[in-house]
Amino acid sequence: MKRKKFTASVLIALMVLTLAACGAKEESSAADTGQGGIEEAVTEYKELMDQENEILSENTGLWDKVFLAMDKDLAVQEESNNYGDLLLKTIENARDQFTDEELALLQEEAGKIRDLENQMAALEKEYPEVAEKSMEGSTSAAADEAMSTASGDESTQKFPSFEGKDLDGNEVKSDDLFSGNAVTVVNFWFTTCGPCVGELSELDALDKELAGKGGALIGINAFTLDGDETAISDAKDVLEKKNAGYQNVYFASDSEAGTFTMGIYAFPTTYVVDRSGNIVGDPIVGAVTEKSQAETLNKLVEQTLAADKN
Amino acid sequence: MARFRGWIQAGAVLFTNLHLPNFIKGGIYQGKGKNVCVPGLNCYSCPAASGACPIGAFQAVAGSSKFRFSYYISGFLILLGVLLGRLICGFLCPFGWFQELLHRIPTRKLSTKKLRPLTYLKYVILLAMVVLLPAIAVNDVGMGDPFFCKYLCPQGVLEGAIPLALVNSGIRAALGKLFTWKLCILLAVTALSILFYRPFCKWLCPLGAFYALFNKVSLLRMKVDANACISCGKCARACGMDVDVTKTPDHAECIRCGKCVLACPTGAVHFRYGFGDGSETKGTITAETNMEESN
Repeated sequence: MKRKKFTASVLIALMVLTLAACGAKEESSAADTGQGGIEEAVTEYKELMDQENEILSENTGLWDKVFLAMDKDLAVQEESNNYGDLLLKTIENARDQFTDEELALLQEEAGKIRDLENQMAALEKEYPEVAEKSMEGSTSAAADEAMSTASGDESTQKFPSFEGKDLDGNEVKSDDLFSGNAVTVVNFWFTTCGPCVGELSELDALDKELAGKGGALIGINAFTLDGDETAISDAKDVLEKKNAGYQNVYFASDSEAGTFTMGIYAFPTTYVVDRSGNIVGDPIVGAVTEKSQAETLNKLVEQTLAADKN
Repeated sequence: MARFRGWIQAGAVLFTNLHLPNFIKGGIYQGKGKNVCVPGLNCYSCPAASGACPIGAFQAVAGSSKFRFSYYISGFLILLGVLLGRLICGFLCPFGWFQELLHRIPTRKLSTKKLRPLTYLKYVILLAMVVLLPAIAVNDVGMGDPFFCKYLCPQGVLEGAIPLALVNSGIRAALGKLFTWKLCILLAVTALSILFYRPFCKWLCPLGAFYALFNKVSLLRMKVDANACISCGKCARACGMDVDVTKTPDHAECIRCGKCVLACPTGAVHFRYGFGDGSETKGTITAETNMEESN
């Protein structure tokens, strides 16, 4: 079993590498049509981003603590766009959670991030489109990498797009939904699933909290796919009893998102999606009424909100 | 038939778990087969499972807000009980086979005869955890928990939680206190199975308890030919379920494994299949019109 898993993850890592290689090639050929300077800037910008990500991917345990301690209001208020400053401030505020050694390490690393961010800002000044251009190629590869290191799952990194309706019959398009929100939390549930129903009120609270931060939460009830009327009225009943007022969406079961939903076998499962429609991190399996699930969700949401600011 | 029991058990386990590639892929089969129950205790969430577990399905229906009792599954279980009784435990149940294989590990074996009162525990579990609690202990929207699956069933850990968690990091992250608790139960059952013969079947299994109620009326019964019996007691000594087939051939604990049939030096013990209360067997010798499976 272990050996199979190992070979599987090696294969996936290889696939990701080949994909990344393709992405880079396309990037450079696309840039060839523009001026020569921007191409260099993009590569440099990417390198800086990679360095930053590398710093964050080391000592993940410590960074997780920092992300958890991050003051959400501070993230909004913070005038300078420098993520390193935000990190430094957060570390300072939460200094009693760390040992002196950890504190020194975090501060040093956050300082490095600040310098990197400054260099990136300088590049952005010169070439305003550089940030966007470097994102195009690298986010997917980065997401792939995150997937393959976290698990051997064959997950898609883009949330499958859908055109559906909410339970009141209003049209919902995934592209509009995701691009209109800094973060979208997507909760998969079904009406007769005890743990799913048990977390509805908490999800509603999260939806209200996200609304203030430019995010949203939607539910997808697996029973309501294809607009089954009894299923919809049952689902509405339960949502009403639980005072859950956030949007619930359905779409055709034979659509891309439909097959995706039918493939889920553990409920509830919750996904975090960023503005460009990419799935952030691994799906959260199990109700967020459990502490560890709530923490993971919180972390992914903060991470997505923070990334949206850059 | 009893001679090939091991093979039949292996075949039944394979048949109830056909979707073997899912063990590597990490999903579960969710097709039409899951609308039907398998006869033995076999977790719905086993990646390979071809059907639903009758005990799990019963609790799911009883615990849903729309129903309080599952007539469909009860009917299915009554049918199986009448047709086969606890032969299902002896021949078709995957978790029964698992315990038997463990029992083959050579150690000192202990008798469960003195622990007989514990055999009534399984009826309590059937009534409380499978039938009553899921229907009665409901939340604000009228839904109950599948108490047996959630708090007790070691088969769910063995077939569901462990294989799924091995290949799916999301499931792995979701494992909590309940998993730890049931893993302990599984380990305890595993250890006890090495020392005792089928401890889970004897003391805990609600499915076995249900079929046990039908052993006395089942079409499949044990028959002892009083004329051929020499009262040597070999059958009772061969029995792993602490049953003396000569005295109580329709005992609720008998899982129809046929060890007594094989042990009998005079061929006095038989499987018999069909109608009739078996009393006529004392008078006539082999004039039964019933189909006999004397393998």
